[in-house]
Amino acid sequence: MQVKANDYPKESARLLREEPQVRESVTGATLNFDRNRRAAYAEVGAEAWRDWAERVKNHVLTHLDSYLEQAERALIANGVQVHWAEDAEQAQRIVAEVARAAGVKKVVKAKSMLSEELGINPMLSSMGIETLETDLGEYIIQLLDQPPSHIVGPAIHLGLEQIRALFHQRFGTPPDATPDALAGVARKLLREGFLQADMGISGGNFLVAETGTLALIENEGNIRLSTSVPRIHLALVGIEKLLPRFSDLAVFLSLTARAATGQRLGTFVSLLHGPRQASEPDGPEAVHVVFVDNGRSAVLADPEAWETLRCVRCGACLNACPVYRQTGGHAYGYVYSGPIGAVLAPGLVGLEETQPLPYASSLCGACYEVCPVKIPIPKLLLAWRQRAVEENLTPRLEKAAIQGYAWAMTQPWAYRLAAKALRLLPEKALDNTVVPVLKAWVEGRAGLKPSPKSFRELWEEGL
Amino acid sequence: MKERILSRIHRALEPRLKAELPAPLTPTQVSPDEALKLFRERLSGNGGEVVRLAGLEEAKSWLAEFVRAFSGVAIGSTLPDPLKPPLPALPPEEAPLGVSWALGAVAETGSVIVGSAEGRRHQLLPPTHLAFVPQHRVFGTLAEALTELKGQLPSAIALHSGPSKSADIGQVMVRGVHGPGRLIAAIIAWEG
Amino acid sequence: MRVALFVTCLADQFLAEAGVAAVKLLRHLGVEVEFPPAQTCCGQPAYNAGYWNEARQMAAHTLGVFEDAEYVVLPSGSCTAMVRSFYPELYRDMPRKFSKAEALSRKTYELAEFIVKVLGVSTLGLGLEGQRIAYHHGCHALRELGIKDEPLTLLANAGASLVPWEAAIECCGFGGLFSVKLPEVSLSMADRKLSTLPEVDVLTSADGGCLLHLSGRIAHRRLNVAVKPLASVLWEAAQKTPEVDAHAG
Repeated sequence: MQVKANDYPKESARLLREEPQVRESVTGATLNFDRNRRAAYAEVGAEAWRDWAERVKNHVLTHLDSYLEQAERALIANGVQVHWAEDAEQAQRIVAEVARAAGVKKVVKAKSMLSEELGINPMLSSMGIETLETDLGEYIIQLLDQPPSHIVGPAIHLGLEQIRALFHQRFGTPPDATPDALAGVARKLLREGFLQADMGISGGNFLVAETGTLALIENEGNIRLSTSVPRIHLALVGIEKLLPRFSDLAVFLSLTARAATGQRLGTFVSLLHGPRQASEPDGPEAVHVVFVDNGRSAVLADPEAWETLRCVRCGACLNACPVYRQTGGHAYGYVYSGPIGAVLAPGLVGLEETQPLPYASSLCGACYEVCPVKIPIPKLLLAWRQRAVEENLTPRLEKAAIQGYAWAMTQPWAYRLAAKALRLLPEKALDNTVVPVLKAWVEGRAGLKPSPKSFRELWEEGL
Repeated sequence: MKERILSRIHRALEPRLKAELPAPLTPTQVSPDEALKLFRERLSGNGGEVVRLAGLEEAKSWLAEFVRAFSGVAIGSTLPDPLKPPLPALPPEEAPLGVSWALGAVAETGSVIVGSAEGRRHQLLPPTHLAFVPQHRVFGTLAEALTELKGQLPSAIALHSGPSKSADIGQVMVRGVHGPGRLIAAIIAWEG
Repeated sequence: MRVALFVTCLADQFLAEAGVAAVKLLRHLGVEVEFPPAQTCCGQPAYNAGYWNEARQMAAHTLGVFEDAEYVVLPSGSCTAMVRSFYPELYRDMPRKFSKAEALSRKTYELAEFIVKVLGVSTLGLGLEGQRIAYHHGCHALRELGIKDEPLTLLANAGASLVPWEAAIECCGFGGLFSVKLPEVSLSMADRKLSTLPEVDVLTSADGGCLLHLSGRIAHRRLNVAVKPLASVLWEAAQKTPEVDAHAG
């Protein structure tokens, strides 16, 4: 996929200026998610769960090669065909080959962020395969030709009015149609899709190495349908999604749901073990699992960033993040947005292409507080910033200013001189300034006024 | 491809300290009586419905009454004969009602557990889903349920914890988006 | 008991009254206050922006300045977090410097935290009777240092009515350099915070940076909210009391 993360500063400002409704919608949705999460965490005293989940994931990641092999064996024993993709190109080729071999003409998609990361939809289109997103939010943004703006709620940046207008224009629904009526229109169309599709493509929330169980969490039922009705099911699974034991699902399924939406469990949880068995009345004839690396093994090799691979893609950090809340996900210019996107993106696609993202944070720490697997996001943001400095990716002027500042701050006399100079500036000098830093300050805030006398002067005069 | 991925992972892990696998978290215990009460509370809270049936006779008369609102039915292939609704059979995509013989239920999450051995479409396509749950299969916790299920894993197991829902249209909750908009769990004191 | 005041560069230049109030309040509680004149900036701006070499320069300077202090007290949550949490982090691969940083870390406190935890004082006086106060929790004080109840206890026990504020623990959008690197997002965050502010007499916080940012935004939008540093408000609380039973010693 195209990464436009370097436009974050401009794009976030533009969104705030030109599309204030996005901030409204995203703020409403995320505050709501976060409130529900807080209650759901409190109910079980999530602290112990989070510690435990972090340890399980660390164990899996530090034994990832053997767990992947175990998972492959279990999957094959269940009758699943297993594929391995090193990058997006290989993943696309695998999906294309499966589709071609089976004469697939129509595909239903069951919400997969990984498929966005890999650019699966455009590839299918280019093959002439009709691809339908079936998660209601995904379907809406597919109509608008937009990427998801949130890991769990792909369309939270849209308000009801916009969706009404879209459906009015596309399907001729009344301009004041109720959400129920709009969902009814989508249901009819998508129901046809489920019944006609040759292949369903899903992601995977978890894959249990012990039993080869693919676990999927949802609220709508579209994932159950996409993985049950078409004759082929293909799941794209990031190599970091493994869990060791079937029993681990008990905590991980509930913890993820609590973190994501504040539910005790997603309305529908699918635990899939392969194609239809001989005695079963229905189900897919063939099931494929594609293990996807696409930069993950490189992240695993990173002494700091490897911890991002614990991520269960619940979106809790996005919901808690006051920075994300202002713009929603599109400003980030990458499939994973918000705090987790800001620390994942540099690892998966490179710092040079995503340099502004680690700076898209006030370091408030709310993300770490809510993360179900305790990814130290603030620490990692700082780590990426350090690397940006080391790799000379920060503005030259900024670097010079910080160096000058650090020098002055280790020379008490220079510090004093600067303080004096500050007070000798003409009134208003700090209001209408050409110094970029101060300019940015006064463009929405009253000018800084130094105290008439510095504290140190007052101290020396005798307090 | 596989070998290259695995060798990259192997190299990545060489300098990394290995983390131990912690013992499974032990869930809080829920007694069978508590479980029934909690299940009703939790599934109702999620927007589902719960009926308790003291035995087969009561189930039959309840069912006769219940199906009067429906014109046809799609049933799971393992549904015991006495629980088959007196309705014309319809394909799942046309039936207004789907009936399951559940593998069990989970009290703490308010979930009905259904499996693919009885088929899947009737659990998903009709707008109303009725699942009979044998009373002795109402587990207190998800952990207990998973332990019980692990012995025999069909191609799909699903936990349904209420009606299909979405808030993707302007954050307004809509029911019955793709799956059933109505879920009824009928707990039956009978082992099938 | 002797306390070295680390006034912080921001308070020194822009909120001198917070430093003055902190000194008067500590003396009032029977503590001897000193002000090491070589102190400058803790280095947080450089640390947060990824310039760790420069941050270390400033940290090394500060380590030297406060080496002999019995306690170090700051009227600022984020600078306290810098000294207490992030100095050791800066030197995690340099054992000698690390142990120095650890030693300083152990004796460093934010003002309200010091009063409650070290001095054991939770009632300063009744100088805030009838005042409606909204308290903004600076992020570092709250999440990095776990300071939540200390300022609230001191304010409530001084007779203030602490008005519930939906966004009290949400980031105000200052974030140091963040406020000028991404000014539109930063201001939008301030607006979200201010849009939920109930009617109060005073908005206060232990974090000077947040207050400069919020009061700058308030003035720009011509809102009518009085903003005061926590140290000033606490000193106000203490003034209306004949005597305080301090366990200073």
